[in-house]
Amino acid sequence: MAILDRVRDPGERTLAVVLLAPAFALLALIVVYPIGRIIYQSFFDARLSGGHGHRFVGLDNYRIAFHDTEFWTATWHTVAITLITVPAALVVGLGLALLANLPFRRRWPVRLALLLPWAMPLAFAGLIFAWFFHTEYGIVNDVVRRLGAGGEPTMWLLRPGWAFAAVCVTIVWKTSSFMALILLAGLTMIPRSLYEAAEVDGASHFQQFREITLPMLMPSIVVALIFRTITALQTFDIPYTMTRGGPADATETLAMLIHKTTIDYLDVGYGSTLAVAMFVLSLAVTTVYLRRLARTP
Amino acid sequence: MQRFRLAFAALACAALAIAAVAPVANAATTLRVFSGGANQRPDLMRKLFDQYEAAHPGIKIDIETGGATSELQRQYLSTVLNAKDSAIDIYMIDIVNPAQYFGAGWLEPLDAYIGKADAVMKPYLPVYLQADVVDGKVAAMPGFADAMFMYYRKDLLERYHIAEPKTWDELAAASKTIQAGEKNPNLQGLSIQGAPIEGAVCTFLLPYWSQGREFNDASGKMTLDKTAAVKGLDKWLAMVDQGVIKRNVAEVKTPDTVNEFKAGQVIFAINWGFAWDRFQADKDSTVQGKVGVMPLPAMAGGKSATCVGGWQWAVSAFSKNKAEAAKLVQFLATPASSKFLAIEGSLLPTYQGVYVDPDVVKAVPWFKDAANVVIAGKNRPMSRDYGQVSDVIRTTTSAVLARSRTPEEGVAEIQSKLARVMR
Repeated sequence: MAILDRVRDPGERTLAVVLLAPAFALLALIVVYPIGRIIYQSFFDARLSGGHGHRFVGLDNYRIAFHDTEFWTATWHTVAITLITVPAALVVGLGLALLANLPFRRRWPVRLALLLPWAMPLAFAGLIFAWFFHTEYGIVNDVVRRLGAGGEPTMWLLRPGWAFAAVCVTIVWKTSSFMALILLAGLTMIPRSLYEAAEVDGASHFQQFREITLPMLMPSIVVALIFRTITALQTFDIPYTMTRGGPADATETLAMLIHKTTIDYLDVGYGSTLAVAMFVLSLAVTTVYLRRLARTP
Repeated sequence: MQRFRLAFAALACAALAIAAVAPVANAATTLRVFSGGANQRPDLMRKLFDQYEAAHPGIKIDIETGGATSELQRQYLSTVLNAKDSAIDIYMIDIVNPAQYFGAGWLEPLDAYIGKADAVMKPYLPVYLQADVVDGKVAAMPGFADAMFMYYRKDLLERYHIAEPKTWDELAAASKTIQAGEKNPNLQGLSIQGAPIEGAVCTFLLPYWSQGREFNDASGKMTLDKTAAVKGLDKWLAMVDQGVIKRNVAEVKTPDTVNEFKAGQVIFAINWGFAWDRFQADKDSTVQGKVGVMPLPAMAGGKSATCVGGWQWAVSAFSKNKAEAAKLVQFLATPASSKFLAIEGSLLPTYQGVYVDPDVVKAVPWFKDAANVVIAGKNRPMSRDYGQVSDVIRTTTSAVLARSRTPEEGVAEIQSKLARVMR
C-alpha cells in the first residue's frame, strides 16, 4: 500500500481504493483462491474414485510424497530439463537472434521463420518430434542410415537416456525461437554508432560482441531467462505427447505426475500436495531470480 | 447498426417463442445420452434411439459424443460426474469402468427398475455378472461386446501346411517357418501392442492368464502370481529375440497392428474385434479373404484366455429422469438391440444366442468363430481405482518390452504399486 501513502488528498485515496478494488478482487478470485484451495486440499484424503470419503489427514500426504521415489524422480527430471534446456535455448536463441539481425535485404522471411516454432502449439511439436524419433518411420533414423551407419536402428524413445535427450532436443527447438525473439528486440535497441566507434578503434568482431553486444543485451537476456525458466519448471506438453513419460518414468516431469495423479488416478488430495511442492519449487527459483534482478541496476 | 438491432430483435423474439413453447416440450421427457466416440458407432445408436422414440411417444433422446479412446472418455466423464452434472441421463461406458463409477456413487443401481442382479445378468455372456454387478447391485447393462482376437493369415498357414497353433511356442515356431520360407525381411510373426496404451494391459494379461492364473479374486483383491507374470513377459521378450515380434514393439499401438496386418506384413496379430472389418472391407487392405480368427494360444500346459472389452449402458445417479432412463437402458440391452448392432455394425453380441442367430450368421459369418473366443474371455481387473491399475500395468509392460526394466523389476513394480489400491 506504499503507493496509497503517496496520495495526500483523502478523497483521492478513497477513489484510488475504489479503482484498485476490482483488480484486487479479480486477482484474489483467480490467483489467491485457487492456490489457497490447493493448499487446503493437500491436507485431505480426497480420492474421488469412490468409497474413500473426504477426510482430513494432516501432513500424511506430505509424508507420502517424501517417501515417494516417483515424486523425487519427477522432480529431478524437472530440474534437469530446466538446467539443460534453458541454457541451451539461450545459446541457440542468441545465435538465431544474431543471424536474424544481419542486414538481410528482406527481413520478413527470416523473422517469420523465427516466429513459426514459437507460434506452434507445444503438443504439436511433441507429436511431430515423436514421429521424427520413431524407430521405423522416423526421419532421424533415416538420416542415420543414409549417412551409412549400419546395424540395428536406434530405438530413441524406448531407451531412457536417449528418450530424455530427445525430449530435451525438442524443448530446445521449440523454445529457442522465443528466446531469439526477445533477444532480437534487445539487439535492435543497441545503437549502431557504438559498433561504428568500435570499428574505428580497431576492435575485432569478437571484441565487439563481448564488449558491446553482450553487456547491452544483458537486460533482455535476464528477462528471457526468467520467462524460460518458469515455463521449463512447468514442462508438460512435449514429454506427454512424445513419450507419455516413458519408458517407465524416464521422462516424467512433476507437472505430468500431478496430471496423472489428479486426472487419471482421481487422487485430488495427493495431487494437490504435489502441486504445492511444484509451487514451492517455482517460488524458490523465481525468488532467486528476482533478488538477482533487484541487484542489477 | 440497423442490421444488428434487427438481428437482436429477431433473437429476442425467437427466445420468447422458445420460452412459450417450452412448457409443451417439457410434457415430453428428453433423455440425454452420452454415446462414446466414433468407434462406438453413435450413428447406429441413433438408429436404436429412433426405434425407441417411435415406440414411446413422449420420449425424446438427445445424443452426445466425445473422446476417441477409452482413456479420454474416462477423463471427460470423471470430470462431468464429479461435478454431479444432471444434464446427461445415460452414459455409455467401457467395461472396465462400472466398478469405479458405481463405487464413486455416480451410477444409479438398476435393481429397483430392472430386477435382481443374478436374474438380470443370467441371459448374458458370463463376463457381465462380474463386470456390471458391483457390490451385488446392477451398476450397468451390457451394450455390445468386444474382445482381443488372434487374427492370422489363412493363406500363409495353408501354404506351409501349418495347423492353428495352440501354444505360444507353436506360434513362434510356425512364424519362423513362414518367415524363413517367404524371405521377406519385413514380415513379422506376431504383432502385439506394447506402447503404454490400454491394449498393453491385455498384452500383460494374455500370457499370464493362459497359465491358469488370476490377477485378482472376486472381491477385487490382487492375487498376482509373480513367477507366472515374469514367465509371461519373458515369453514376449523371447519372441522378440527370435525375431517373431519386432524389436520396437514398445512403440506399437492398436492402429499400427491393424495397418501392418492390412499391408501384409504380419502373420499373426492380436487386436480388438473392429479390426476384422478393417482387414476384410477396407479398400487398401491387401489381405482381403485371407484372414482367419482363432482362439488365443496358451502357455504350454495352460488354457487359452482373452481380454474382454465392450461397452455398457448406465444411468447417472444425478439424472432427473431415472425411471425413464432405466427403461431405455433395458431396451438397449435386449437381444433385439444386440442383434441389430451385430447385423448393422458388426458389433459383437452380448448374448451367446445372438452369435448363432441365422440372420446374424448370414450378415457376419465370422461371428461363429468369435463366439468361442468371447465366451472364454476374462475381465481386466475390476477396481474402483481402475485408472491407476491400468496406468501402472500398461506403463510397466511397455517399459519391460522396451527393455528399460527386466520382467522381474516390472512385476515387482506392479505388485508394489497396486498392493495399496487392490486390497
